[in-house]
Amino acid sequence: MFDRVVRRPRMRSLARVPAVVLPVMILIAASGCGSGGVGDELNGMTRTPPTEVGRVALPDESPGGGGRQTRLRGEEDGLMLVYFGYTFCPDVCPTTLADLGVALGELPEEQARRVKVGMVTVDPERDTPKALNGYLGHFFAPGRFASFRTTDDDELARAESAFGASSKLGKADRHGNYEVAHTAQVFAVDGTGQVLVEWPFGTPSEDIRSDLERLLGDGGIGSA
Amino acid sequence: MKKMMYMAATAAAALAIAGCGSDDGSDGTTAAAGETSVSDAWARVTTPTQTTGAAYMTIESPGGDTLTAASVPSSVAGEAQLHEATGEEPMDSGGSMDSTAPMGSGEGMMGMREVDHVVIPADGTLTLEPGGYHIMLLDLVKPIEPGATIPVTLELEKAGEIEVDATAEE
Ligand SMILES: [Cu+2]
Repeated sequence: MFDRVVRRPRMRSLARVPAVVLPVMILIAASGCGSGGVGDELNGMTRTPPTEVGRVALPDESPGGGGRQTRLRGEEDGLMLVYFGYTFCPDVCPTTLADLGVALGELPEEQARRVKVGMVTVDPERDTPKALNGYLGHFFAPGRFASFRTTDDDELARAESAFGASSKLGKADRHGNYEVAHTAQVFAVDGTGQVLVEWPFGTPSEDIRSDLERLLGDGGIGSA
Repeated sequence: MKKMMYMAATAAAALAIAGCGSDDGSDGTTAAAGETSVSDAWARVTTPTQTTGAAYMTIESPGGDTLTAASVPSSVAGEAQLHEATGEEPMDSGGSMDSTAPMGSGEGMMGMREVDHVVIPADGTLTLEPGGYHIMLLDLVKPIEPGATIPVTLELEKAGEIEVDATAEE
């Protein structure tokens, strides 16, 4: 259907939103009145309606995941921070993961233990399970991350599409090295599969930490 | 947990160094050739399975100059290239960005590409930093470990060759 380089189309997210919804969404944005929810006070981006990813599942190759199909969402009272990236990425990916590590390290332990980081490799060919686990283990404590990897291009594309994310393999250079352009934000998914907030690349770790505290604290998710 | 806290602290330190600009070169290595100076040179620590790395620094060159190439010893990496991150601009810090619009073409997509040269403006300072320009290290011979020193040779059109020691940071 697609050749190797463009096999994952860049634009799919528009198709997810029915045309009639668009004007309504624009009106809401223009009038500036949100729903009055916690989203109003978050540093990251929120969407109305929130992206739903509750049905998305991929094999988790982390030691605790054992390669089982695992949903890309938080525990009932927690969050999964989903990131699409690859370990050969030396610049943007480690910057983001280091920022997440800082934010999580500064959360109260009671909250931090309710958060898991789920990285989906967009480069499964080079990112072996071992490479993914070694990479994530550098930033996060054991058991606090999931290593999502599928070698089925369509399965990966469907997962990306659900998040409104995408990736594209670049051309190989003369050494056979290639890079992968990919969606760079982090998605915070609750236990029901709703994306509560997205942090674009470059969001300071302090902003991420305060968003997490707001979402996981009193009145946030997991509180009666 | 302990490890995480340690990582957090060192990463914060690395970010602080990367972010502090050129007001004070004491945190990084400074080399000078004529009036050109380089400060805050660092390379990101890599894990054993990574074969690529990145180095960053601030180059000050009153009158301006052009960075045309960078190289590292073959004992460090097979090749060094000048790279530029492409795609989305980093978001402004603070402030809420309530985006209700659907995602457009490639929103939030980031990649990188090799560039032939990087211009240092006449009044100025060029900062290589995450999400902007970096010196890409390809085919790493061994992982970049915390505290290691990576010798980087910069080639500038006017200033000529400048040697810098980039310190490995998280
Ligand atoms: Cu690069």
